[in-house]
Amino acid sequence: MTDSLKMQNVTYKRGMKTILHDVTLTLAPGKIVGLLGENGAGKTTLMRTITGSAKSRGAIAVNGTSVEAERKRYVSFSEQLRGFTDNTKLSRIVAFYETVYADFENERFHEIADFLQLDLSLKLAALSKGMKEKLVIALTLARRTTLYLLDEPFSGIDSMSRKKIINSIIQWKPENATMVISDHYVSEIAPILDEIVVVKDQTIYTHRKADEVREEFHIGIEAYYESLYERGNDND
Amino acid sequence: MNFDDKVPIYYQIENHLYHEMIAGTLKPGEKLPSVRQLAVDVTANVNTVQRALSEMIAAGIIESKRGRGNFVTMEVEKIEQLKVKLVTAQLAQVYDQLHALNLSDEEIMTSLQHYIQQRGQSK
Repeated sequence: MTDSLKMQNVTYKRGMKTILHDVTLTLAPGKIVGLLGENGAGKTTLMRTITGSAKSRGAIAVNGTSVEAERKRYVSFSEQLRGFTDNTKLSRIVAFYETVYADFENERFHEIADFLQLDLSLKLAALSKGMKEKLVIALTLARRTTLYLLDEPFSGIDSMSRKKIINSIIQWKPENATMVISDHYVSEIAPILDEIVVVKDQTIYTHRKADEVREEFHIGIEAYYESLYERGNDND
Repeated sequence: MNFDDKVPIYYQIENHLYHEMIAGTLKPGEKLPSVRQLAVDVTANVNTVQRALSEMIAAGIIESKRGRGNFVTMEVEKIEQLKVKLVTAQLAQVYDQLHALNLSDEEIMTSLQHYIQQRGQSK
């Protein structure tokens, strides 16, 4: 089967500053992958190089396609709805997504929105942080595609909302699609991850199977992640 | 389900299902929920649940019937064996801990009997 994502020697600079250096990463189909790293490590930038909104050097293929315009079709990225004014009704946003994305499935969206208890008659300004995040998740998952990128979907929301979002991921991620979830707070999502990818020192510091870490080191994902920083300080 | 993050998740799911079989919540010959439903029930990844089921199929505790789903084995002896195995594992832990306190086998027996009696009275 074609890899969901294949990045080879990807480098991204902002001005003189190197944000990502020589990133090589392959993700198989059907996985849930935790993208871990400190704030500012380059997790969001990595996602933006995949969608093409950050111009990088190197090769990136999604579902075997490296042509940028085509590649975008296979990626559903959790955008933060910055383009919409506070006055916009949620139903208008949904209609917009339906127009822009050919793979956006209206019925699927409503199933997810029901599950997450979203009220589509509300305006964007009326949403709490947790509700807004749920809307983003529903919009992202309503597209039926190959690669899903969720950028910190759990930051600043209560644990009940977090659980709901996690359950919606388990229920609606298409079987062969791969999902990358970035987070700097690991423990809540650890049980649902197949693999972890750690971004550190401007590159992919490690990429491992989650249960392999548990089996090999007898420690949790969070403890393992923290240990990388303790060890890293000696040879930096 | 609350997982211990230090232990492989597939292993914990396996144990969870074994417990249900021994307790009788899952009966011999009963059909298991779909993989995705199980994943939602325990809040784990579909692949991890599949791995747990594969291990159980290999152990002969679950039978996979093509196109029909997964079923708990009809062979009651296999579930009995499983029960013996799990009980032994629990007993071993208690025994080792008591032994480490320098209790003789006889003392362990007496304390255990004593404990069960007291438990019975306080119910």
